[in-house]
Parts: sequence; C-alpha cells; structure tokens
Amino acid sequence: MEHTAHIEHHAEDGKKEVMRVTLILTVLTLVELALGFWMMKIEAQGTRLMIKGVIVILMMAKAFYIVGYFMHLKHEIRNMIMTIVVPLLLFVWFIGAFLYDGNSFKNLRMTYDSHKKEMSTKKVEKKEEVKETPEVKKAVE
Amino acid sequence: MSTSTTAPVTTKWWSGGKSPFNVEYGKLMMWYFLMSDAFTFGAFLIAYGTTRFATAGWPNPNEVFKSYPFAGENANAPLVFVSIMTFILIISSVTMVLAVKAGQEMNKKAVVNNLILTIIGGLAFLSCQAWEWTHLFHEGAWWGRNPFINADGTQSTTNFTNFFFTITGFHGFHVFSGVIINIVMLIMTLMDKFEQRGHYLMIEKAGLYWHFVDLVWVFVFTCFYLI
Amino acid sequence: MSNEAILHGSSAAVHEVHGDHHHEHHHHETFISKYVFSQDHKMIAKQFLITGMVWAVLGGLMSVLFRLQLGYPDAHFTWLENILGKFWVKDGRITPEAYYALVTTHGTVLVFFVLTAGLSGTFANFLIPLQVGARDMASPFMNMLSYWFFFGASVVMLSSMFVETGPFSGGWTAYPPLSALGSASPGSKTGMDLWIIAMALFVVSSLLGGLNYIATVLNMRTKGMSMTRLPLTIWALFFTAVLGVLSFPVLLSGFILLIFDRNFGTSFYLSDIFVNGVGALPNEGGSAILFQHLFWFLGHPEVYIILLPAMGMVSEILSVNSRKPIFGYMAMIGSLFAIAILAFLVWAHHMFVTGLNPFLGSIFVLLTLLIAVPSAIKVFNWLTTLWRGNIRFTPGMMFAIGFVSLFISGGLTGIWLGNSALDIHLHDTYFVIAHFHIVMGVASMFGMFAGIYHWYPKMYGRHLNNTLGYIHFWITIAGAYLIFWPMHYEGLAGMPRRYYDYSIWESFKQFGDLNRFISTVAMIVFATQLLFLFNFFYSIFKGRKVTAKNPYNSNTLEWTTPIRPGHGNWPGEIPEVYRWAYDYGKDGREFIPQTEPVGADESHH
Repeated sequence: MEHTAHIEHHAEDGKKEVMRVTLILTVLTLVELALGFWMMKIEAQGTRLMIKGVIVILMMAKAFYIVGYFMHLKHEIRNMIMTIVVPLLLFVWFIGAFLYDGNSFKNLRMTYDSHKKEMSTKKVEKKEEVKETPEVKKAVE
Repeated sequence: MSTSTTAPVTTKWWSGGKSPFNVEYGKLMMWYFLMSDAFTFGAFLIAYGTTRFATAGWPNPNEVFKSYPFAGENANAPLVFVSIMTFILIISSVTMVLAVKAGQEMNKKAVVNNLILTIIGGLAFLSCQAWEWTHLFHEGAWWGRNPFINADGTQSTTNFTNFFFTITGFHGFHVFSGVIINIVMLIMTLMDKFEQRGHYLMIEKAGLYWHFVDLVWVFVFTCFYLI
Repeated sequence: MSNEAILHGSSAAVHEVHGDHHHEHHHHETFISKYVFSQDHKMIAKQFLITGMVWAVLGGLMSVLFRLQLGYPDAHFTWLENILGKFWVKDGRITPEAYYALVTTHGTVLVFFVLTAGLSGTFANFLIPLQVGARDMASPFMNMLSYWFFFGASVVMLSSMFVETGPFSGGWTAYPPLSALGSASPGSKTGMDLWIIAMALFVVSSLLGGLNYIATVLNMRTKGMSMTRLPLTIWALFFTAVLGVLSFPVLLSGFILLIFDRNFGTSFYLSDIFVNGVGALPNEGGSAILFQHLFWFLGHPEVYIILLPAMGMVSEILSVNSRKPIFGYMAMIGSLFAIAILAFLVWAHHMFVTGLNPFLGSIFVLLTLLIAVPSAIKVFNWLTTLWRGNIRFTPGMMFAIGFVSLFISGGLTGIWLGNSALDIHLHDTYFVIAHFHIVMGVASMFGMFAGIYHWYPKMYGRHLNNTLGYIHFWITIAGAYLIFWPMHYEGLAGMPRRYYDYSIWESFKQFGDLNRFISTVAMIVFATQLLFLFNFFYSIFKGRKVTAKNPYNSNTLEWTTPIRPGHGNWPGEIPEVYRWAYDYGKDGREFIPQTEPVGADESHH
C-alpha cells in the first residue's frame, strides 16, 4: 500500500512539474514575441543586435527546459547527461568557424566584386510583381 | 588497471553486466539518434547563418510573414500566426509528456487520450504550415524564387526563400513522421501491445522524438521569424 | 520515474537474446536466414567484409586503369576498348571523361565502401559482441538493415558505372559548382544523381550501424567488463562509431542542399557562374566554400573513422604477438579520445587555399598540429609494446608492424601539410596524394589485413596460408612505399594532381619514367592482392583447420567461444570477466585470460 501511495505521490509531483515547465515555456515565448515586436520599431543596429542576443539566450533557455524536463534528461544518471551534453559543445566551434568565414566571405565580395558592391547599395522598388531574380536585375539595369 | 580495488558502497554502474545509465538500449539509441539528427538540423541552420553572414542584405521577416488565414490581402500582423504555430507545438509536447507519464503509471485510457491530443496537435501544426507555404507560394515565393526585397531596399538573392522552404520543409517532414509514429503508438496501445509487454517504453521513445521535433522548432522559429 | 519498468525492459532485452540462442537448437535455419538476411553479427560482419572486398577489387582495378594512362600516356591499348567499350576507351587510350570518372569512383569507393563499411563494418560487427561478451548486437535487426542499406548503396553506385553519360567525375569530394550543374560535365548528369543516392543510403547504413555499436559497447558488456577492461579494439571501434554518428548527418545536410541546387533551382552553393555553351546562370548569392565546410566537417572525421579501427586492431595484435601488455593502456584510450575530439575541430585545413579567411586558417593550423600529440603518443606506445617483446611474426603481426611504419612515415608529412603557409605550395600536388594514401589509405588497408589474418581462425575456423601471407605482406609494403614515396618528390617539384596527361607539360615531362615506374609497381601490387583473395577464399574451404580454442594464447573473450561459435556465441552462460585484456607475461605466466579470477597473491601492475 505504502508503495502505491508513493508512486501516486510521485506522479502528482510529475504532473506539477509538467505544468510548471509549460508555464515557463509559455512565458519565455511571450517574452520572445514581445522583444520581436519591440525590435520592429527600433532602427539602431546596435540595439537590434542586443535584442537578438537576448532572444538567442531565451531560445537556449527554452531548449534547456524541453530537453531537461520534457525529455527527462535532468532526471537521468549524471554520466548519461554528460554523454549527451558534452558532444554538443562541438557546436561552439562548428558555429563560430562557419559564421566567421561567412562574414569574411562577404567582406571579400564587397571588396573585390564591384558588381556585388553596386548591387548592395542600389535600391529596388518595393512590391514588384516579378517572378525571378535575373529579370529584376535587368529591370534595375 | 583498477581491477582489484575493493567494492565501493555505491552501485558500480560501469562494471558491466548492466546498463551504465540504467536505461535500456532502445532509449539509448533513440538519444544518440537524436544527437545525430541535431547535427543534421544544426548543419542546416549553420549553413543558413553562414549564408546570411556572407550576404549584404536580407529581407525583413516581419514584412514577409505577416498574414494569417482568412485575413484578406492587406493583413499586417507579423509574428501572430507563427506564434500560434509555436504554441500548438508546445501544447502537443505537453500532452505527449502526459502520455508518457500515463504510460509509466500503466494507465491505458490516459495514454490513449493524450496520444490522440498529441496527434491532433501535430496535424494542426502541419495544416498551419501547409497554409503558410501555400500563401507564400501565391505571393511568388518558392525554391529559386524570391519576391521579397531586402530590409534596406536592395535586391535580395533567392537564398532567403531557399533556406526557408528547405529547413521548414525538413522540419515539417520530421513532424509528419512524428505524427505517423504517434499513430502507430496509438494503434499499438489500443491493441493492448504494451499491456501485454508490461511496460510502455515504446511511448517513451516516441515521446523523445516528438519533443525533439518541438525543440527543433524552437530554433527554427527563432532563426527565421525573430532574428 | 519508474525504474522497475526500465530494469524490466533491459532484462527483457537479455531474455530476447537468450531466446535467439535457444532457437538455434530447436529450429532448422534456412539458407536465407543464415546467409542472406542473417541477424547474426558474425554473418553480417562477413557480408560487410566480402562486399568490401568486391569493392576493393573494383576500386583497385580502377586505379590500375588510370595509372595505365598516367604511366603510358602515348601507348594504345586497343584490346581495352573491346573490354570496356567506347565511353571508357577510345583509340586505345582511356578517355579524359573516363579518367576523371575512374579517379572519382576510386576515391569514393575506397574511402566509403571499403575502408568505412568494409573495415569498421566488418570488425565492429565481428569483434564488439565477441570481445565485450554479448550474445549479439543490441539490435540485431537494425544491424541487418545496416548491411542491406550498404548493399543498396553498392548497387546504386555500381549501376552509375553503366549510365550513358558515365559515372560522376567531379572528384570524391563532389565540390560544386561542378557537381551541382548537370551542364558542367557529362559526369555531373545522371551519374551524379546516382552517386548522391548511393551516398545517402550509405549515410543511413552507417548511422544504423553506429548507433548499434555505441549501444552495444555501453549496455551489453558482460559482468565485470568495465570500460577500462575493454580491449583497445573496442575502444577504437566505439570512438569510430561516435565520429560517424555525429559527422555523417552534416554530410547528409550538405548533400540535401546540393540536391536542391541540382534539381530545384536554388543557389545555396552557386553564384556568378558562366557555363560554356549554356551562358550565364541566374543563380546568385551562394557560396561554394559553404559546401566545402559542410563536406569537410564530415570529411575530416571520416579519415579517423577509417584510421581508428585499424589503430585499435593493431594495438591488440601487437600486444598479443609481442606477449607483452600494451604499453600505456590509459594513454592509448586518452589519445583515441583526443583524436576523436580534434577530428571535429580541424576540418578547414583541407581548405587553406579556397578563399578561407587566413586568420581563421591560422587557428586551424594550430588545432591541426595538436593532432601530432596523441598520434605520437600512440606511436611511442606501439613501439614500446614491441620493445624487448617475445615477438611472433605471424602474418597478422607483420601487417600490424607495417601499419606502424606507414603511420609514422605518412603522419610526418601531415605536419608539413598542416601548415597553411607550406600548403600554398603543396596543395593539390602529388605530395598530398602521397600523404593521405600512406597514412590513411595503405595504413588502414594494413590494419584491415592485420585484422583479417589475425581473426580469420575465429571467422571461419580455419587458418590462412602463412607463406602466401608473407609474400602478400612483403610485396605490398615494398610496393606501397615504391608507389607513394616518389610521389612526394613529384609533388615537391610542383606536379599537380588530377591532370590527365603530364607528357604535354614542359615542366612535368621529366617525370615520365618515374610515372611509368609507379604504374608498373601499382600493377604488381594489385596482382598480389589477387593472391590474397585466392588465399582467403581457398582457405574458407581448404585451409588448415583450427584445432585449439585459443590458437594465439590470447586473453580476450572471443577465444573462449567454441571454434565455430553459433548464433549466441557462447553455448552456456556468458563468461564473467575479472581483469583487463593485457595480462601477458605476468607473474611468470605467459598469459592470463580475462575470465580468470584475480589470484590472492597476484602482483599489481
């Protein structure tokens, strides 16, 4: 009897935890959305970049709650958590190197490709009824 | 090596003859498969990021994704529809957790109910995505076609739509296969397969997959709609 | 959290395997269930091995064909035309299209089908359950699927040889735009589609296999087999599987984007392109470097996927046949781990001259040169294991020692190539070809041969012929050095890779004789491999029978099974393990099997 009671108690705890995490995820998403709406009105690049940074942090927090509680990883044995989390650290260099090189590629193009450079400053009309880019290019030229 | 040390009081997880993580091999495999899949999605999103970093201008998502069903031509409600999609997926993840919990308590009825809710959530998400794709298609967007211009008013490349359709498509494919898996789980539950086995471990594995799909959407949502 | 359910689950899994085992006694196995759709890890291993051998012969034959062109650019082999047909040979010479198709397919097939599937597919399947003490893989069914996906990949790849426009010919790295534009070359048409499909199937196969290997090593070890009592083979195969599971999906993503570029008008990798005969293409904004990043994010771990199993098997074979414990067991594991981590951090050293940011390149140089540390640790440990050992020169041991030799001489040139400044001169020359063929190609082949010679008695219950083995070894190692050593010289002199005919270049004409020499040796070495194949297949049926359970007086668990183990490996209980795998020459005893309990008065090591 005591055993079953224990299990039920445990289950009750589990349900509470699910509700708590659901609430946290909802709040995080709402904050993200609020930031998104706020960002629409902001022109300054620095501020926008900062908001984007905050959004990425909130995204990581959401990922933590989904993996930790919904996928139950937080309740697994420590070693198992490590085998899952540690390989994900590879993403740090994966992301860093790729984005750094992407940025460098843009600088190369903007420095040595006069056509690209010209295109990056030429405004085109909004809401054009066009289907494909090459036609747009011709229209612009 | 440490062969002849005295036995410690705590359980020797690594000494062989049992799982070092106290999980059966299927769950372990599911976890490592999801790791692998995380690298697939990671590679997609990183490729997207790299291309964005390598491109001078980029369309403003708020001017692209601003419509919702039955809104007519001139709807201007950025982020609204996609936040509905996000909540649908979060809620379906919650019902999946409840299904897994019910399975651990051997509560067949609750498992069935929550699985049905999860499936409905998945189908609702897919319908939303289908609507959004159709809408964008009618605006002239598709693979290799991009009607939107950059936020700074310059000509955009097609990579905005290329990546959008490829990555959300790949995610949608995962949602679709998740729904199929859940339907199979539902049928197996109704046929009392798990009752006979004495455990609902399959549902746990399906649940892991489903949460992973939700997890990926968190990243896709942020990368495409917010920043 | 219901621990009971979980424990129940794991005990159910154990029951299943037991069930399989009992099956064997009660049911008559059909030909199909025993040899074709077998779920026995030993049979699947043999399937991987033999499919890999078929590919090795085809891939080797391709290298002979293009070496024919390189060695004898002026000769006319009209008889080849009758065998291979007009696409491949025209006027007695390999056509340029065929030459590039041969080079490409040789690379793809040898790297993926022979040295990935054929090597880790064979030995991970064969050795993991036997050496950790399991009845079979965690999921025998997925294991079977893994082989059949590989088989599917093989069929698709093979069929690409027979399409009208020829197989893919843009190099095994499949760089766009050449691989992305069907109009760019004949090989980029149907041949490339089939190539991508084959590779996608291959990724699925390696994923299914890899997950299984990881789960088996972690979960299915027998009682007492802690991770630090595992033979180094298992550690190496474990890290190999981890590398595969984490890096192949990135390749898959890269390929999916490539498929879209090929078929659906996207421009992920394409920008500013003019194709002769087609004109300017509308694609804008992509970057070919992006593909290279994605490709090499797999591509670099891939070379360790190829090399690590060979390292693991060599460690085991060196120790057994030196009758000494492996030197620095923990250092060996640590260096395997370090190599596995570094494998993910150094990919862009393949791209120093592609337009990669030079500052980023310098970080990649640093990380690349770090690999020298664990590699050196391994080499020194192998040498110290051999040092003053009571060495038995079996053919398996010869190949293991050959591996160490090749790994050293090929690895040293890696330090040259890892420097971005030197790479400006050396990239895309024969120096690179020499480097990676010695350190990864031939060395891994040697690891594979060592493994086959060493575990053949366990696989087929018979011995290979030793005399043929020694002939095979000496010709192959001498040949490998004679083929690839001169290439360093050619590369330093600036001779580029991938050219069809060097005789028309004033700067490279002087190498005509050297090229002919290399080609001749290549043909002799290839013929010697046929000798090995004869030995292999002849010995399956006619080889000397194994009479002792443990012919090498080895410690590991596979030698406690019957001479020809059935499905389930051990007829009775799975033995329990009490010690590590390397108690050789301890306390005056030649060897102490892992299954022997530690004695009260035994010394520590």
